[in-house]
Amino acid sequence: MSFVATNAASSGIKLDRKVIKQLGKRSDRPGLIWLVQWVAMLVSTGYLLHLSLGTWWVIPAMFAYATVLVVPAYSVSHETAHGTAFRTRWLNELVFYISSLIYLEEPYHRRYSHTSHHTYTYHVGKDGQIPFALPMCFSDWLRDMTNTSYYGYYAKLLIKNALGRFSNMTLQYTPEGELPKLKWGARLFLLIYTGLAALVIAGYMWPLICFVIPRIIGGPVMSYFTILQHAELAENSPSIVDSTRSVRTTWLARFLYMNMNNHLEHHLYPQVPFYSLPALNEAIEDQIPEPDPGLWRTNLEVLSVVVRRSLGKNTKTASIRQAPHMITNGSYTRLAERTMQ
Amino acid sequence: MSTWTRACAADEIDEEDLIRFDHDGRTFCIYNTEKGFYATDGHCTHEAQHLEDGMVIGTVIECPLHQGRFDIPTGKALSAPVCVDLKTYPVKLEDGDIFMEIS
Repeated sequence: MSFVATNAASSGIKLDRKVIKQLGKRSDRPGLIWLVQWVAMLVSTGYLLHLSLGTWWVIPAMFAYATVLVVPAYSVSHETAHGTAFRTRWLNELVFYISSLIYLEEPYHRRYSHTSHHTYTYHVGKDGQIPFALPMCFSDWLRDMTNTSYYGYYAKLLIKNALGRFSNMTLQYTPEGELPKLKWGARLFLLIYTGLAALVIAGYMWPLICFVIPRIIGGPVMSYFTILQHAELAENSPSIVDSTRSVRTTWLARFLYMNMNNHLEHHLYPQVPFYSLPALNEAIEDQIPEPDPGLWRTNLEVLSVVVRRSLGKNTKTASIRQAPHMITNGSYTRLAERTMQ
Repeated sequence: MSTWTRACAADEIDEEDLIRFDHDGRTFCIYNTEKGFYATDGHCTHEAQHLEDGMVIGTVIECPLHQGRFDIPTGKALSAPVCVDLKTYPVKLEDGDIFMEIS
């Protein structure tokens, strides 16, 4: 098979093999500490939500709980999909299944679709996890930020996979012998979601309060992190440096996002677990671009660009990294539709 | 027909690690695990990524690209995305050198 996977080698980034091995070392301890902290934050914000029910305080309390539920659920589902969160495999897989249920993606499919995202990062027609059309305009941004495009994609995917009617994209990244696992995984997840819906219909409100409403409210907060990973960067490049962005951020955001603000570093060396990404950044910082400024400013610049693109105006960003061909002075040509549809 | 070929000195491989061994147009990995030395094909069976930068975890080798896992002694594919077993080769230790039987 001849192909060049998008990673450090394809990006011209070099790191001593012994350093890679050291950074890639696995341990249960950092993941367990993170997990305990996450559960503690869930219990705390969940308790505040409980106390606030029936008052106006329910709005900030729900926002806090939703953020603490959804952003880390995405982050740990991603980390465990790689198998790097814990050294102990059963623990990794248990957390993978539970967090994927909250994040909303059947685990077998998540693992296979994510392989295409790493082998062909941001390659049109090959990366199965491009969530918006390229270049992104305001309506694409809105669909991604509100998660509405994702809900439609996930519902369709789950039903089609449960019926064994796999999309061409799914067939592209899943070995034929593994398709029955996708089918049965989708059926199991559909059964669980149907059970939760039945509980709500029967008058039990806790699935709605603890899961459904927070997932809807937390979705945009999750996208506030994830939309920056590749937006406005170069599609179809063998170099991760061209296609992927890291951002500076706060300790709290790094915790919620499991250090995925070092996204460029993660794509270069996906075998490095979340707790070693800051050290990986230090090891290669002279070979990669400076991270873009904080989440807020980077998001504002992306929003500014997509609004101006939709209005037919100049699309140059003020300070964040941008692929040269994303800068236009008026009209633009659609390069690709999202693959998650 | 198979032949025993010297792959490397045993002390060239750190504990819980591997090295790449190329021979006669083919590529292999030689492992030093808690249960001894082993040899397998060099490329992952999923997308042909070389395993030389992979992590050895106990007696498991994890592919550096997608983190698919194989049992090193048997070559058995353990977890997605790998689903095809890795070919293994007999090894022997003689006078501090590791030999593998290439078939």
